[in-house]
Amino acid sequence: MDDILSPGFSIPSIGHAPTPLHHSLDADQQIEALPHQVYHPPAAEPTTTAATAQQQQTDNGTGVPDGSSGSGLFGHEPSIPLAHKQMQSYQPSASYQQQQQQSGNTGGSTPQSLMQPQTPQSMMSHMMPMTERSAPGDSSLSNIHQTMGPSTPMTPATPGSADPGIVPQLQNIVSTVNLCCKLDLKKIALHARNAEYNPKRFAAVIMRIREPRTTALIFSSGKMVCTGAKSEDDSRLAARKYARIIQKLGFPAKFLDFKIQNMVGSCDVKFPIRLEGLVLTHCNFSSYEPELFPGLIYRMVRPRIVLLIFVSGKVVLTGAKVRQEIYDAFDKIFPILKKFKKQS
Amino acid sequence: MSYQLYRNTTLGNTLQESLDELIQYGQITPALAFKVLLQFDKSINNALNQRVKARVTFKAGKLNTYRFCDNVWTLMLNDVEFREVHEFVKVDKVKIVACDGKSGDFN
Repeated sequence: MDDILSPGFSIPSIGHAPTPLHHSLDADQQIEALPHQVYHPPAAEPTTTAATAQQQQTDNGTGVPDGSSGSGLFGHEPSIPLAHKQMQSYQPSASYQQQQQQSGNTGGSTPQSLMQPQTPQSMMSHMMPMTERSAPGDSSLSNIHQTMGPSTPMTPATPGSADPGIVPQLQNIVSTVNLCCKLDLKKIALHARNAEYNPKRFAAVIMRIREPRTTALIFSSGKMVCTGAKSEDDSRLAARKYARIIQKLGFPAKFLDFKIQNMVGSCDVKFPIRLEGLVLTHCNFSSYEPELFPGLIYRMVRPRIVLLIFVSGKVVLTGAKVRQEIYDAFDKIFPILKKFKKQS
Repeated sequence: MSYQLYRNTTLGNTLQESLDELIQYGQITPALAFKVLLQFDKSINNALNQRVKARVTFKAGKLNTYRFCDNVWTLMLNDVEFREVHEFVKVDKVKIVACDGKSGDFN
């Protein structure tokens, strides 16, 4: 019991609690450091192949347990390097897209052009020198950019550019974890704070914490669902805090098989969209029944993401297991949405 | 069975003391005292539900913690202001225990 009650995250079963925090810090830095990494681009290749290659890489990555953390802890760690890696995969696509644009904006409907990069460019757009903004069709400049690699962002400057600098914001993350012990829910409900337990309605304790502001569903089997976090790290941290609360109540809770099950993002493209036109041309992906629901439901296949698209230009993206899927899906849908911009 | 939570009020406590005394002097049996208490539960639940017209409003600065278990809400409030028509009280901490009014009153 003394072990269990010891301060901080020094729980034996939870083990290296601070480790993921460090990981997450590193990950954040990696993401923020992206514009610098852009200066070392890998060989240019179309996005599609790059993305699949990255996908395979990361798939392999998930199979390798992280030595520093115990079993079950590697659940989301690879997802951060994944985001990082896939971000890099934007660079070739950026240059590819540049080439396309410089050659007279020919690729309007090719699938590659539908995958125009969003995130890195929008990050870079802040850093862009003013002089470069004034050369939409200048071939000499474009040559310079190509020789310099995609690090110099041309695309946001061109009038025909697809990149509005919009990055989908994560709104909700649902994760699950196995505490690996049977739980007496009534005891939990009676002793923990901010808990609700109404077995007539729902067979789980509903518990909330303020930091990170999340809600957990705790089942008697020892399985737990954590919802409401805005980032992968917050979701994991929150799940750990719940596990700690359960431990403090005297249960031998572990922290196994942490997994992010769903991520939801949203953004605003800031122009109205003709959903009727969109549903007609993308009828095998989308359904639009304004009498049932005001948004168009777009079921993208690669990445496997469901998008809710509203007339107002607001877009909700859901179904992602990793953050990059949200970004990829938005990069793919944005040129389509632009085609159906309402002229008013 | 009505809620027994009003036994722990001034009225309920004095009633229990009186009943204890009567049992000690042999004037009533413990069984009868038990019956009286059950009637007290029933009556006070009914009276508070039907005959109280007074109203107090209160507003908390913060809900510190909450709990819902066995159909009872327990709320811990901070910085609570109670208001009657022209009376006003401010309290740092308030604990509210709330039961379902429908299930407890009758039967």
